[in-house]
Amino acid sequence: MAADRLALPQGTLDLLILRTLALEPQHGWAIAERVQQLSSDALRIPQGSLYPALHRLERRGWIRPRWGTSEHNRRAKYYELTPRGRRRLEAGRTAWRKIVAAVASVLEPA
Amino acid sequence: MLSDLRFRLRALLRRSAVDAELDAELRDHLGHLIAKHEAHGCSREEAVRLARLEFGGLDQIKDDCRDARGIGVIDATAQDVRYAARVLGRDTVFTAIAALTLAVGIGASTTIFSVVDAVLLKPLPFAQAERVVFPWRLPADGFDLGFDIFPWHRVEFLTFARQTRTFARLGAFEGASFNLTGDGDPARVDGARVSAAFFAALGVEPRVGRTFSEQADRPGGPRETVISDQLWRRRFGSDPAIVGRTVLLNGEAFTVVGIMPAGFAFPQSAGMPNVFPLPRESSIWVPLALPRGPAYRGEPSELAVVGRLARGVSLDAAQAELDQFAEQLDREIPRGRGWHRSRAVPITQQLAGGTRRALLLLLGAVGVLLLIACSNVANLLITRAIARAREFTLRAALGAGRGRLIRQLATEHLVLAGLGCAGGLAVASVGVAIVRTSGPASVPRLAGAQLDATAFLFAVALALACALLFSAAPVWTSTRHDLAAWLKDAGSRSVTSARGLRARSALLVAEVALALVLAIASGLLVRSFVRLARVDAGFNPDRALTFELTLPSASYATEERIVALYSDVLDRLRALPGVESAGIAETVPMGGAGEGTGLRIPDRPTTDDNARPFANYTIASPGYFAAVGTPVLQGRTFADTDTATSLPVAIVSAAMARKFWPGQNPIGRQVGVPIRPYDMTVVGVVADVKHVSLREEPAPEIYVPYTQKPWPSMQTMHVIVRTRTAPASITAAVRNAIREIDPHLPLARVAALETFVDEALAQPRFSVLLVGGFGIVSLLLACVGLYGAVSYSVASRTRELGVRVALGASPRRVFGLVLGQCVRITVLGIAIGLGIALLALRVMEGFLYGIEPTDPATFAALSALLLAVALLAGYVPARRAMRVDPLVAMRVE
Repeated sequence: MAADRLALPQGTLDLLILRTLALEPQHGWAIAERVQQLSSDALRIPQGSLYPALHRLERRGWIRPRWGTSEHNRRAKYYELTPRGRRRLEAGRTAWRKIVAAVASVLEPA
Repeated sequence: MLSDLRFRLRALLRRSAVDAELDAELRDHLGHLIAKHEAHGCSREEAVRLARLEFGGLDQIKDDCRDARGIGVIDATAQDVRYAARVLGRDTVFTAIAALTLAVGIGASTTIFSVVDAVLLKPLPFAQAERVVFPWRLPADGFDLGFDIFPWHRVEFLTFARQTRTFARLGAFEGASFNLTGDGDPARVDGARVSAAFFAALGVEPRVGRTFSEQADRPGGPRETVISDQLWRRRFGSDPAIVGRTVLLNGEAFTVVGIMPAGFAFPQSAGMPNVFPLPRESSIWVPLALPRGPAYRGEPSELAVVGRLARGVSLDAAQAELDQFAEQLDREIPRGRGWHRSRAVPITQQLAGGTRRALLLLLGAVGVLLLIACSNVANLLITRAIARAREFTLRAALGAGRGRLIRQLATEHLVLAGLGCAGGLAVASVGVAIVRTSGPASVPRLAGAQLDATAFLFAVALALACALLFSAAPVWTSTRHDLAAWLKDAGSRSVTSARGLRARSALLVAEVALALVLAIASGLLVRSFVRLARVDAGFNPDRALTFELTLPSASYATEERIVALYSDVLDRLRALPGVESAGIAETVPMGGAGEGTGLRIPDRPTTDDNARPFANYTIASPGYFAAVGTPVLQGRTFADTDTATSLPVAIVSAAMARKFWPGQNPIGRQVGVPIRPYDMTVVGVVADVKHVSLREEPAPEIYVPYTQKPWPSMQTMHVIVRTRTAPASITAAVRNAIREIDPHLPLARVAALETFVDEALAQPRFSVLLVGGFGIVSLLLACVGLYGAVSYSVASRTRELGVRVALGASPRRVFGLVLGQCVRITVLGIAIGLGIALLALRVMEGFLYGIEPTDPATFAALSALLLAVALLAGYVPARRAMRVDPLVAMRVE
């Protein structure tokens, strides 16, 4: 069932998380689900690396935690994007577009 | 950056809260995952299993999060330190041996370092000491005076001081001592006559008052004196009113104008060329007041000079000016051509002098000792690492990364190094105290050695360096386990220990080699010391008492008066019970340099002033040679019949006879000194005597009787009394006798003659004790290392040995097998050590007396000793191996 899923290129996990949180604050599980959903099931965040990544992003000041209530009415730790995180996301997106375009022009020359 | 810090701080300080949050978060996530699987139609158990599989180990994630939070390192380190302490605490014998070994190595190194720091590195108590320079005169090329530098002549000094551009200040000085009278008992005070610029050249200011005025530094100027802080406290009871008061020096009134700061006692003999008779410490200074007129014929050179370089002037520039000055003098005084060169020596280099090389030798020796200690500890650690292979493999199998294992081992080693460092500081505090109290007095600034912040930092840095050194091998061997091979082998030791054993053998070989080098170095020093101590100094230091008499020039103004006094002194002393003989002389053997003079020898006429014969010159009395125990080889000694009106006579040393009358009988020959118009007749030849150093080559020496108008003044003379019993027993009687003659005459430097020899041996003895000590410790360490290695190899080969015995190997064969390993390592180590010693010990050439640094006997003897020690170290475990019971051995493991 995982065969057709793509392996996540190095460094893109952070970007995916930031992008997900740009829509609205989320808790950990929802972030993973949302990434899967947005990519039409093509991408899946390795469960083990989600939380270390969140801690890393928090340390860098790109996201910040906030306690909220989940859909099941339970206290949950939500993460939201900070202004710095938003800037970082934009920069990352631009860089990603360039990379994709560049790689594409090499792999599939017009 | 700030948010990062805040985050890390929170993570660190509120660890449990953060951990609890994370835990809740992860459980929540897992719950979602299980629910999802259930929703897809799995059973509850199946869902839980899948979720766990997908999610991975909770603890692993927590660890990763901790790393991501950036506290993983601190956390893990704390854990490592706790663990290391526990591990080391469990194995007390190992820890004690390793820490003790390190403590000895670090302690010895730190001790020597603090001495080096005090003597060579610490700044001198002079303002801008780097500008203080001593210009010394050099003998003409190819001319051997028996010493390599000599003093300045008055006129040349005055000329140069007037014209110099590179020196801001140029002062002259000479050692002197004074009878200080008035204010209580007469006392002998050592000090110096110095020119007015002396203090400014050194860059010292008086604590109270001022130094000499220019007027005082002229003949006939006001008599002023500056005293040391110590003299002020000791003699004048710290009386601040002393400045402006008058004191009597040699019976003349001097006004005290200043007190120098505490600790200032320059000139001091330590570190200064020994051709200058300088006091051990100066406590009083009077103006030199050099006459300004032209030189008179035969005027001696006896000034030492100290200069302060002008701002921005380099040493080279000053040297260049001195060279120019020499050329100028060569032109002006063609007769003295080649005799005007000087060499400018910076003060740090001057004071460290010969000590510098000795200290560097000690530093080298202690460094080798430390290396041996490190390799010993590394050895112990490898043994342990092999023993702990199981633990490490298990931890690796459970997922500990290599980096993590290395970190933990490194922590253990750092804790060990910390223990060693603490122990080393304790050793060093004792060591420094011993060195300070019993080190040789000839080493300048030795008393300043202390365990200060610098030494402390040095010890810590050394401990860290050691940790790196002794960590390398064990870390390498114990964290590179081939897991698969290990598991296959079900944990037998043989697989992992091969690499460890190889590393150990290499270390042991190195250790043996280094120990041999150090042992040979100490062996050479010991043999050289024995030769030095047995050297024939030309006199007999046993049962001889010496002291110095200085006659106040006011009451002993004429030569007749002086001669009468000494003759009286001799008569009184000879009459004392217990006195075998008594004599006086200007200097006593090993009591320091005396005078030197050019000679006039009618048998060897010369017109070239530079080729003029030169000899040491000593005034002596009848009975002197008997009193010091110098054998008379030919002719007679001075007698009471040699008087001012009888035939002028002289006695020459064997070296002088050999040099000027080779193959001829010197008795009856004529010889003259420049200052006296008439020649003297040689009436005797005595053995050569050492004056300054036991190493010195005998130089020509001429003795003249004190009764025949000798030159120069006899104001200060040494008295030697040979006794029938211990010299100390007669001191009181001698003092009484002198007091009866003149109550105002103080006895100075009362000492047994043998103390002069002892002092001359003090520095070599010090080196021998230290380097010898290091050598013995290094042999012990190598021995312990070999013993440990062989014992361990026997223990780990018990099974193999058991099999061998079971298959019929004789105990003798097993014994040989085990001992053979020990012998192989030792022989290889000795071979390498001999090679190193041959090359490296050349640096010791200057320290050795009468022995080559490649002395084959010493090399052979110490190699044999090391081999014997190594065999002993291997013997015990080899005996144990012989008694291996095959039945028991099979059951091992």
